[in-house]
Amino acid sequence: MAKKVIIVDDSRAVVATAELALDEMINSGVIEFKSYLNPMELLDALQNGSEDFDLLISDVNMPQLNGLDLARSIKSDERYKNKPIIILTTESSNEMKMTGKEIGVTGWMVKPFSDEKLVKSLKMILGV
Amino acid sequence: MNKLRLLVVDDDEDNRLVLRAICRKMDCFEIKDAVDGVEAVEMARSWHPHIILMDIMMPNMDGFEASKIIKNECPETVIIVVTAVLDRRIQDNMSLIGNDIYIHKPIDRELLRYKLASIGASLRIKEGNSNSLSTKIALNPFNSNIRSFKTFFEITNTEAMMDFGMWLYDHYNGKLTTASSKFDRVLEIFYMLMRRGNKNGNTMSIIIEESYEEFYITMKFDEEIVIEQKILDTLKEFETNIIVNNNIVCVSLSKPIKIKMDEKKYVLHVEESPKENIEIKEKVSESTEKKSEPIKEIRVIDSQEKELLKQSFVNKTSAADYVDEIGGDVLDEIRDLSSLDEEWIIKLRIIEEKSTSETLVDFADSVLNPYVKVINNLFEFTALAYALSSLSVFIKESAPVISQEDSKLKMFVMLLEHLGNDLTSWREHIFLLQDTADIHYLDSSFFSSCMQIEGIISNKDLDVDDDNDMEFF
Repeated sequence: MAKKVIIVDDSRAVVATAELALDEMINSGVIEFKSYLNPMELLDALQNGSEDFDLLISDVNMPQLNGLDLARSIKSDERYKNKPIIILTTESSNEMKMTGKEIGVTGWMVKPFSDEKLVKSLKMILGV
Repeated sequence: MNKLRLLVVDDDEDNRLVLRAICRKMDCFEIKDAVDGVEAVEMARSWHPHIILMDIMMPNMDGFEASKIIKNECPETVIIVVTAVLDRRIQDNMSLIGNDIYIHKPIDRELLRYKLASIGASLRIKEGNSNSLSTKIALNPFNSNIRSFKTFFEITNTEAMMDFGMWLYDHYNGKLTTASSKFDRVLEIFYMLMRRGNKNGNTMSIIIEESYEEFYITMKFDEEIVIEQKILDTLKEFETNIIVNNNIVCVSLSKPIKIKMDEKKYVLHVEESPKENIEIKEKVSESTEKKSEPIKEIRVIDSQEKELLKQSFVNKTSAADYVDEIGGDVLDEIRDLSSLDEEWIIKLRIIEEKSTSETLVDFADSVLNPYVKVINNLFEFTALAYALSSLSVFIKESAPVISQEDSKLKMFVMLLEHLGNDLTSWREHIFLLQDTADIHYLDSSFFSSCMQIEGIISNKDLDVDDDNDMEFF
């Protein structure tokens, strides 16, 4: 069954880039891809159970909600506690990484990312 | 239970009557009055009032002189200065007598009652007698059955706004770990309203009442306020009720953990009202009457909370502060950029139809570069301007290549269209809605988008081997 990958980023361009990079995996039915521009919508959907994911890729700086706070909220929910989350960012200070580790995010990816890198990490995490 | 003694000092009989009438309603004061400073001092000596409402300009002895004597003899007396103007001189005089409580003339009834209620409550607590003063005069029109402690904020500057924001954030989210997210939008709206309340040197006050299920936030502005539909919609989404009446806005906000009770529905009133300060009367539906425990508490934001709040705002410039700083000329230029939005799309369609070097260069010259020019004037956004201008240079340089490769051109156009949308929403959040707490929230995304666009077209590998770019825990 296709694994569900969700990306949340307030920039349409970033979302589109990711979708392009994952084009092949999407078309071959390996993954199902969904994107959110507003983290709040995603959180709502996850909380009321209308959304689920196998891997979440989240931006950090979003006007409505910080990606790390989003991850923290999701991770505090029993249902999503063990689901992998990757944080997308342009800066990767150690402080941020520590926060990420504390929250329990799976990994960290620096923007801009190459197609290969995104695909490689996805395959690794999802085991496909 | 003894009532608190309240002395009303004013040389004008009408004023005394008004003040007495306001205070009598509270039913927890024994009230007497004095006609000038001399009489006030005498009364203070013989009757020992807890609280004095003191007019300033009076014959025989003015309010300051009287206050000085009274404070000297009975330092614990709380003196509320009633004044029409609050200038430097009055402020200095007030601090001289060790007094910083004042109330404006004409008297705002609700404000006065709240000040009296909170001072009264603290006096009771000081006396170790906190079981009374049940002045449950609900200000909000939603529910009269409120817990008796109320929190009062006078919004005069950004710090006060943050105090309020922190209080609400803390009290709203304190109980839930995951609620923070949804709530931010509502908080943003409050910030926006507060900024409006502070425009042109105006001030506003906010009084928060609580029941066990809801917060009731009453905001009083100096001037009439109009709330846009967009804001109303957002608030509605969040299970809030809002009533707007001239210069008063009252919002009810469900607490995140609430006992489901009968659905309460309130209709939105936006109505013309007389110019004088209106009083929101209790409009309580019977069903909202529920148990309430007599909890007395005066909530003061402690310094630790304040510190925490400040930390979370450190190094972040909010859109509102930023826009306040930049000049009107620049702002006009940015608003004019909206005319480029359409152009942006049109030029992209032209590229799709006719992919030549010329159409690409035209896009860079007539759309991208004007954008860069305006953003370049914004000191805070030089990084963004740089990213966009590099993109523009890149497009012009590689125009011959891009125009030849169909698949890449498609991607290129699509990404640029998204970038245009991102820029529009960036402008909106920062310069129009001014609703973001961090003006740099989109910078990094822009930067990476521009590089990504360049990467796709130039077929450049983006440092795949650099391990620092990716890390798994």
